[in-house]
Order: sequence, then C-alpha cells, then structure tokens
Amino acid sequence: MSHQLPAILFLLPLFAAISMPVVCLKHRHWSQPIAVATLAAMLLVSILNLHNVIHHGEVRYVFSGWAVPLGIEWVADGLASVILVLLSTLGLLGVVFTGPTSPKDLGGRIVHYYILILLLVSALTGVVFAGDLFNLFVFLEVAAISSYALIGVAGGRALFAAFRYLILGTLGASLYLLGVSYLYAVTGTLNMSDMVDKLPFLLSSKAVLGGLIFMFIGLAIKMALVPFHSWLPESYTYAPESISPILASLATKVALLAWLRIIYWVFNASIVINEIPILLIVAVLGTLATVIGASLALAQRDLKMMFAYGGISHIGIILIGIGQGNQTGFAGGVFYLLNDAVMQAALFFFAGVAFCRYGVRTIDDLGRVGKQAPWLTGSLIVMALGMVGLPPTGGFFGKWYIILGALEAGNYVSVAAVLLSTLLTLAYFIKMFECIFRQSSTQLEVQSGGVPFAFKLTLGVTSAAIIILGLFSGPIVQLLLDHAMPPGL
Amino acid sequence: MVDALLAVFQRPNFLTFVIIFLWGFYIMVTRYNLVKKLIGMYLVQTSVIFFLVSISAKKGATLPVLLSTTEPVQAATYANPLPHVLTLTAIVVGVATLGVGLALCAAIYQEYGSLDEEEILEKLE
Repeated sequence: MSHQLPAILFLLPLFAAISMPVVCLKHRHWSQPIAVATLAAMLLVSILNLHNVIHHGEVRYVFSGWAVPLGIEWVADGLASVILVLLSTLGLLGVVFTGPTSPKDLGGRIVHYYILILLLVSALTGVVFAGDLFNLFVFLEVAAISSYALIGVAGGRALFAAFRYLILGTLGASLYLLGVSYLYAVTGTLNMSDMVDKLPFLLSSKAVLGGLIFMFIGLAIKMALVPFHSWLPESYTYAPESISPILASLATKVALLAWLRIIYWVFNASIVINEIPILLIVAVLGTLATVIGASLALAQRDLKMMFAYGGISHIGIILIGIGQGNQTGFAGGVFYLLNDAVMQAALFFFAGVAFCRYGVRTIDDLGRVGKQAPWLTGSLIVMALGMVGLPPTGGFFGKWYIILGALEAGNYVSVAAVLLSTLLTLAYFIKMFECIFRQSSTQLEVQSGGVPFAFKLTLGVTSAAIIILGLFSGPIVQLLLDHAMPPGL
Repeated sequence: MVDALLAVFQRPNFLTFVIIFLWGFYIMVTRYNLVKKLIGMYLVQTSVIFFLVSISAKKGATLPVLLSTTEPVQAATYANPLPHVLTLTAIVVGVATLGVGLALCAAIYQEYGSLDEEEILEKLE
C-alpha cells in the first residue's frame, strides 16, 4: 500500500476535480467543502508519505508496471515529499481562504473555480514527483493553463495580465520542450535516472549544452527569474484575492524545484560551459534577481505589487543558496524555499483580507487598518520579521544557512547580495509600517459583521508557521541534509 | 563560413524549424493585435513539434507493430513510437493553451471593445 502513496496523492485532487461537475450539479455550495475535504485528505496522505519516505527510503512509482526506461516513473524522494507536505498545506489554506473572498458574481461558475484550483494542485503534485522530463513539461503546462484561467476570472485588468502571462508562459514552455527534444535526440531517453547514466559521455556535445540552456530559459520564465519576470507582478496583483496566495506561494517555487531536479539530479551540477561552471551562472543570476527584485519592490505603492516583487527577489535568494554547490547552501536554499512559500502565502492572505474587509489596496490606505484591526497589524509584523529575516523566524535561519554555504564556497559576492537584499526588504517594510502607524484622519468603511473565521485561520496558521519553521529550523535542516540531498553532493 | 552554410543546407529540416520558430517569435513581439500574437505563439509551438517530428523521422521504417513472433525483431525496420506520442501530447497541450488564449481574447474584447494592445493600454491608464 505504501508504495502507492505518490499516485494516491496525485489522484485525490484530480479525481475530486473530475467528479465535481457531477456531484455539484444541483448543489453548487457543496463545491467548497468537497475541495477542503479533498485537500485535507491530501495533507494527511502527504504527511504519511513523508513519514514513509524517511523511514523506508525513497519510493519509485512505475505507472502500470512498465519498467523504467520505457515506462513513466515518479520519484518520491525526501525533497519531493517535503515539498508535497508544503504544497498540500498551502493548497488547503488557499481553498479555506477562497470561501469568503471568491468573486461575488460567479454564480454557478463557482464550481468551475474550485475545479481549476484542484487541477492546479494536482498538476503541481505531478511536477514535484515527475521522474521524466516530458512528464514534467505536461504537468507544468496543466498547472500553467489552470493558472491563466484562474487569473482571468477576476475580469478587468486581470484579463490583460493573464493574456500576457499566457503568451510568455507558453514561450517558456516551448523553449523547455525544445530543450527536452535536444536531450532526447542526443540520449534517446526521457527518464531522468536513465539519462544520468548516458549523459557523462556526452557532456562535450553542443546539443546537450543547447538543450540545458533552452530548458533553463524556459523554466526561468516560469519561475520569474529577473530578466523574465515581467509577467508576474501584474498577474498576481490583479488576480482574484483567493488565487494570488496559492499561485505566489506555489507556482514559481515548483518551477524552481523542477530546475533543481534537472541540474542536480540529471546533470549532477558539474557541467561547465566554456569553462564557466553552470552553478556559478545560477548564483550570479540569483544575485541579480534578489537585488533588482527588492529594489523594484521598494518603488511600489500597491500592496500586492510590492509583495509580488518581494517574491521575485526571494527566488533570487533561493537560487543563490542552490548555486553554491555545497550541502549547507543546498539545504539552506531548500529550507528558504519552504519559508518563502509560507511567507508569500501569508503576505497575499494579508493583502486579500486588507482588500476584502477594509478596501485597502495601496500602502497609503494601510494607516486606516492599523487602529481598527490590531490582529491584522500583528500578523503583518510577524511576516515582516520573516521577510526581513530576523530571529526567531524561519527566514533568518534560511538566510543564515545560505550565507554559511556561500562563505564555505568562498563566494563573497553572494553574501553581499543576500545582505543587500535584506536591507532593501527592511526598507520596504519600514515604508509600509510608516504608513500604518502614521496618524490618519480618514474613516474606515468596515464591512458589517464579524471577521470571517477563514481569515483568522489562514493568517493565524501562516504567521505561526513562519515562527515554527524558525524554532524547528535545526531538525528540519537536518532532515533535508539526511534525506533530500542530491547524489554526489 | 561557406562550409557552415553548406552544413546548414544539409539539414533543411533544422533550417525550416529555425525559420518557423523565429517567424512566430517575430510576430509575437512586433504585432499589437492580440489574436496575431496568439498566431505567433502557435507558430512557435508548432515549430518545436515539427522539430521533434523531424528528428525522429526514419526512412523505410514501418509501424511499430510486431508482425511475426517467430523471426527475430529488426529494430531498424520499425519507427520509434515514442516521439509521435510526445508530439500528440504536445499538440494537445498547445491546443488547450490556444483555447484559453482565445477565451481570454474574447473576454478582453467584451471588456475593452478592442483587440489592439495599444488601445487597451490607453484605456487602462
């Protein structure tokens, strides 16, 4: 039974998504409870799967019994299992948050809305587990198509943002597919573990290098690495309030994870292009991304726009950690990925609550919230501590390990970049707090009725998670070091 | 230089791929009409599919169906079925993306009464 867990994890949301139009045909209000129940079950199964992987080693799931080079394989190793617990937790919180914030004029289409969210979660599960380059492409595209549609639901400016995302995202997917076909032409296989055996003799081939570069550019568009980030801020800003947390915390991180798999598991990270190690290129791009992203965030006044640029800068920090090529940096990068996903979800939950309940869109209006909703300000302070990276939050320990890794590799530019982006992050949070605590005479139009339980739950859980990840950073990083390390690092 | 050019013309399929890809990319970048952008996007997708098909084409090969169980299998006489399956999947993905893109275009037209990117950007300001 336990070796079936990866397939069960994927099939749970997929099956719920497929059966939803029939089940909810007459009772459209059933759609949210069904989605919540499915994702809660998925969370339980993912914890079971993580437990199983830690105690019995990685699970390699082969679909319909076709042996590896021919069939499609899924790999549930330590890394994938940890990320999956994160994915199902944030997916569950996102669906809980969807209840009171979903667009009002959806009517019967609310069922389709939940179907798309469940499809998005199942596709992301597929990306995390995929042990096959082409499979990865298909799941990336399913996730992307669901997110284009979900962003477009908001109407108005979101439509145009979603269209731009679609054009750029499809270009990225085409480049990724082109890279995969280069590698397929050279090695004759698509399976990652099979390709590992064949690649060492072919590393001098220009087709392999070309394929790697095309795949990197394709995934860089998907993960919003800085020169290719232009689609992200607008899409996440104008997306429905309930969709931005799910997308911001998961979509870009999962694309980054796919790149991590390719570079460390398939290429063993030792590849050198014209005497420049590829890891150095990754670290340099991360350096640029983190500094430029944080500087752009500083220039924003729209809350969600600011958080979106903050997310772009944090993708850079994760890449810096991964690009150091040692265990400390890698574990730090993956640990920071977990933290960043939680923090992005928390920030966009905050932005959603601030807009839905208090009508606040820009930081100038934030002052009106400060007095009326101390609980909201309190959670924002926790998030700010996490984003800036002060102890005892997870953000601090993530950056700590990344800097340790960079020092170990003697890469002082990366250390400076992490510190600089920390300062810039501090700057834009100070700007925000200045607006909150400044006296404001404008009156607030608070919606009548109590604060929905879903708001308190999602903000509370994510804020607590930021602290808990920090308090238990030692065991979590040790777990990553023991079970999630790529071969040969 | 001449050798490199001659080498390129040895492989007309690669040349065709590059031309279609860049053509599609050029349309995506330069046209302001959203539907034309989608056409460019579809050309890019199709060019990659064409590349995948062209590298797996095999002269004189037949269907990958085992005709006789007694004779030893001659792998060289059969076409590799995997690239074709990949191609089919990639086509399906491309069509789904195009569908979502056209739906977004229709919604944008209803919202702004135009499909021209510049006009829409003016209205957004």
